[in-house]
Amino acid sequence: MSIVFLVSDAYGGHGGIALFNRQFCEAIGVPVTVIPRVVRGEIRDVPPNVTFVAEAAKNPFAYLRALAAARRSKPELVICGHMNLLPVAFNRPLLVVHGFEAWKRRRASLHKCRGVISVSALTRDRLVGWSGYTGPTYVLPNAVRLEQYGIRPKRADLVERYRVAGKRLLLTVGRLDSAERSKGFDEVLEVMAGLPEDVVYMIAGGGNDFPRLQKKAADLGIAHRVIFTGLFDERDKPDLYNLADVYVMPSRGEGFGFVFLEAMACGLPVIGSKADGGREALRDGELGLLVDPESRAELRAAIVETLARGERRVPPGLDYFSFEKFAERSRAILDVTRSPAAQTR
Amino acid sequence: MCGITAFFAYRSTAAAPRREELEAITARMIPRGPDAGGTWISPDGRVGLGSRRLAIIDLSPEGTQPMWDSAGELAIVFNGEIYNYAELRASLERGGARFHSHTDTEVLLELYRRDGERMLGLLRGMFAFALWDTRSRRMFVARDPYGIKPLYLADDGGVIRIASEVKALLAGGVVSSAIDPAGAAGFFLNGSVPEPFTIRKDVRAIEAGTSFFIEEERGRVDARRYYSIAEVFARAADKHLVDAGVFVRERIDESVRHHLVSDVPVGIFLSAGIDSSALAQIAAKHTKLHSFTLSFQEHSEAPLAERFSNELGMAHTTRLVSPKEFLDDLPRIFERMDQPTIDGVNTWFISKAVHEAGVKVALSGVGGDELFGGYPSFKNIPRIVHYPRIAHLAARARRHPKAGQIPTHAGTYGRAYFLQRGLFFPDELPHILGEEAAREGIEQLALFDRVDAVLDPDPLTAFGRVATLEAALYMRNQLLRDADWASMAHSVEVRTPLVDAWLLRQLAPVLLGGNGKSVLGSTLPPYLRDRPKTGFFVPMKEWLDLRPDGTTTRMRSWARHVWEAFA
Repeated sequence: MSIVFLVSDAYGGHGGIALFNRQFCEAIGVPVTVIPRVVRGEIRDVPPNVTFVAEAAKNPFAYLRALAAARRSKPELVICGHMNLLPVAFNRPLLVVHGFEAWKRRRASLHKCRGVISVSALTRDRLVGWSGYTGPTYVLPNAVRLEQYGIRPKRADLVERYRVAGKRLLLTVGRLDSAERSKGFDEVLEVMAGLPEDVVYMIAGGGNDFPRLQKKAADLGIAHRVIFTGLFDERDKPDLYNLADVYVMPSRGEGFGFVFLEAMACGLPVIGSKADGGREALRDGELGLLVDPESRAELRAAIVETLARGERRVPPGLDYFSFEKFAERSRAILDVTRSPAAQTR
Repeated sequence: MCGITAFFAYRSTAAAPRREELEAITARMIPRGPDAGGTWISPDGRVGLGSRRLAIIDLSPEGTQPMWDSAGELAIVFNGEIYNYAELRASLERGGARFHSHTDTEVLLELYRRDGERMLGLLRGMFAFALWDTRSRRMFVARDPYGIKPLYLADDGGVIRIASEVKALLAGGVVSSAIDPAGAAGFFLNGSVPEPFTIRKDVRAIEAGTSFFIEEERGRVDARRYYSIAEVFARAADKHLVDAGVFVRERIDESVRHHLVSDVPVGIFLSAGIDSSALAQIAAKHTKLHSFTLSFQEHSEAPLAERFSNELGMAHTTRLVSPKEFLDDLPRIFERMDQPTIDGVNTWFISKAVHEAGVKVALSGVGGDELFGGYPSFKNIPRIVHYPRIAHLAARARRHPKAGQIPTHAGTYGRAYFLQRGLFFPDELPHILGEEAAREGIEQLALFDRVDAVLDPDPLTAFGRVATLEAALYMRNQLLRDADWASMAHSVEVRTPLVDAWLLRQLAPVLLGGNGKSVLGSTLPPYLRDRPKTGFFVPMKEWLDLRPDGTTTRMRSWARHVWEAFA
């Protein structure tokens, strides 16, 4: 069994897609050659079954050489980790789609795929909706490593740094992207004025939309109740979650919403969106409250309700997204895809 | 779904209304709610509530109105449906609220207790209600964002009376039936009486998307507009477009699912048009529906609708309407027509058919054109405003009857809108109403100021402006009001998944991109998708032998017929 996995990034990469790719490699447990487009950070913790062709990310020529080598190795299965890589994928690839990139009509030779893996049913439905793709599809939601999170006491130095002693804290983690603006920061800012004075809002993440959001907070007269962390150290993430009382993200563009899993793994009550993949991360409302991102009234009511309950616990249903389940699903997909029936299309 | 009424003798010097008046007002609305009725008057006689109920959610007697909360502090009469009541109820229960029924009505009571007037932003549905708070001795009154459910008010300076129908208020025998010149002028200029006017001088419409309290001695206070279509479009103007296709269908699917909440079977008005066909297709995925189509000797869309209904596996009724039936029904049509209007006969007959089949609830595709820009006005109005000379020449070349009016109506969106939608022009009114009534009516109506006021805040885009005008004027004053009286006359509740404040908020950024309609039709079979657009109309001109005589069109002579039934 030889597998080639074409990815945008994986080891030494940040964000949800890189994380998914790393989890997937580990989950399948069989030898896999991973060819990345970019490597930004330090390459760490590559598991023994993975051959990570880091030099492919150096320049276009190196990338093409790596592709040619992969082609010559006549792999049994090619997995294409991002729609943008579909043009260079070969050998009837298995495509992985994550979110926004697969929602809009675009040129994509889906007919050459043997199957599509989607992180959410929503992304799958949208892809099928515009493309009319009729091949097999598999939903494989992100996994969360519960043991890396957990409920912890608030870290004193963070309480000090952000001056949140005695406050009730709402938190959203995400990139502040001016081209996207779909995380729901605006929506939360707009309901802040209607919430009690001791409620503050932390926007954790960096990005080019920061000046606008900061000005907006000032215009709304709530600048003193909004904290922008800027880019933070990944290692502080579990502690940031533990600093908060409610995780709220009334987003419109999440393919799945991995951050919800992290927040819940820290015992935070969560408020998510009915209008995107967050709905699936919250198991259709079983794990947290869902709101219409366009309704300020609903958002406000959900925040008030959640603050009033004030409980912290890791919901038992979160187990659905455990790494063990993810690994089972990943292997099942590989088995089905490699079965003789699936290859004779 | 019901007819409701309430009074509050708020000024201590004013005499309280008598029980007989409350009973008479309630009785007039029996067709709106044949299943049950009730009235309540406070021990001191200063406050009264009345209701007729058409039972659709929780059919048990627990749903009877006026309804009290468990603590016995709040009472409500409510007309409409709250489609997200189950979610709201779950949220209230998590906060410790207790319920004694399974109705949406009781959810309103508990929501008011928790959130006060802020509750309105949480309601997805159509509603008009009056809620009496014994703790503060205040009455809270509100109407839904689009004005799907009607609510009228008469305030004589001492007593405020409220009811679902203008004619019900008059039925009490106290409120004067004197004609309002502004209402009369409004009818002839527009084809329906524009809010807040009514055809009666002493009765006013409570405007869509507003609420207020009534307080002892002070009367109406804290009036608030809690939803504005113009504002929704203004906010959407700088938002990023999500992709249109699948997103639009998901949101409509969600709205349709909400509108199917019911404890009784649901029907659908099915023409062979895109909006109703697309709704049928989406709804058929979720439930068994019964479709209804009108057919006339003069023309018929029934074969296409029947074919589509069969393909979806729905039960279907095609109802033939003859000229004789129309003439026989005409006196009853005028009797139930709450205010003069040139439309509504179509809804009358389709609702009659639904009632005959024993169905109480029907989906309607109304609102699709307002939402997706299906009317010619979406092209014409911006042209008239921005290129008046070209529009004038083009209209003259086509010998359009309104061509001569273009130069005087080209200045603003409001004027251009009137040019597009107007029935008569102001300078024609003296011939119909008489010099003085026409002058007075036009002056009080202040038509163009009123139309321009609809565009505040400015929706910023041409599409947003026209969509706002269509939704806040033509759809509200004509389509929705007619849908209400003509369906309620047959005890049928019309539900409008495409007229939904939540849906509009979600879709507005996409709609500004301008290709929603093609999305709606994209999954229909070609025999429906590729037809030219037709209206949902009845062959009135053949039935009444209405002929254009050179000075007047057919619709205009029908308007005169209608007027005689009210004057």
